Amino acid sequence: MTVKELADKLSLKAVNDIHDKEIHGVFISDMLSDVMAGAQAGNVWVTVQTHKNTVAAANLVDISAIIIARGKAVPEDTVQMAERVGLTVFTTDLDSFQIAVKLYEAGIKPA
Amino acid sequence: MASGKCKHKWKMTNVKYGFLVNEKCYHCGMLRTYFTFEDVPPKEEHKEGEHYWNYAGSAQSIKFDMKCAECGEVVSFEKLMGLMQCMYCDDRCYFNTISRICESQNIWVYGAISFDVGHEADLAPEKLVVLTDYFTSRLRTPGKKIIVLPGSLRKNEETCHGLILRDVGMLSLEPEEEAA
Repeated sequence: MTVKELADKLSLKAVNDIHDKEIHGVFISDMLSDVMAGAQAGNVWVTVQTHKNTVAAANLVDISAIIIARGKAVPEDTVQMAERVGLTVFTTDLDSFQIAVKLYEAGIKPA
Repeated sequence: MASGKCKHKWKMTNVKYGFLVNEKCYHCGMLRTYFTFEDVPPKEEHKEGEHYWNYAGSAQSIKFDMKCAECGEVVSFEKLMGLMQCMYCDDRCYFNTISRICESQNIWVYGAISFDVGHEADLAPEKLVVLTDYFTSRLRTPGKKIIVLPGSLRKNEETCHGLILRDVGMLSLEPEEEAA
């Protein structure tokens, strides 16, 4: 599944342009440290963190897209950073568990 | 690291969570960063030699080493305090220039920020190669590369606005006065 297909399937709202990539699994954590140590390339990253640092960490480990849970607003500098590195950032009003369930139902599981 | 016949396949090892602590000497103005594994980052003013160190902030982060899955060699990154991505704050900065050139080729530059006995000191080039190889090996996107360069390429470490990859804003995990 690709980022665009996921957006359509889960009705996710992108805060920037959709940069379509292949998705390989999901990683859920609110710590950049966890992502640097444990995420795998192609993972969709579910988090409540909106700081632009998240984008820098996601780019380092080749995350396919970030989903910001719980409807948190994404700062403009984070959006700009996401555009710079070519990474799609979505927001959803669902919490991390709820979006995890939807990802699972869509066929995306921890890689 | 550079010698031998092994085509290393680096993996993170000895991953430990802790705090990056920034301190400033109010006597001379010097800044320093160190890593602590304490549950709460120390905030007490203390004297070391001619310096009077004062707490200037902290963030959660990790320390790690690298181990080759093939030959078992372990490379220590004890002095690495974090990786930084340039935010283009100064057009006269080498790091800025290099980052812009590389990013146009889908090569993403991260700076290794490292300290030795309180002073910023670059990692050995061989260790930068290990980090570059490791993070590039983790990528899937065709044509994308990661390169890790010395933090000293920054024009001014004190005014640099580069993004250091650490857990800022983890309010529930930070001391109350910082979270406020």
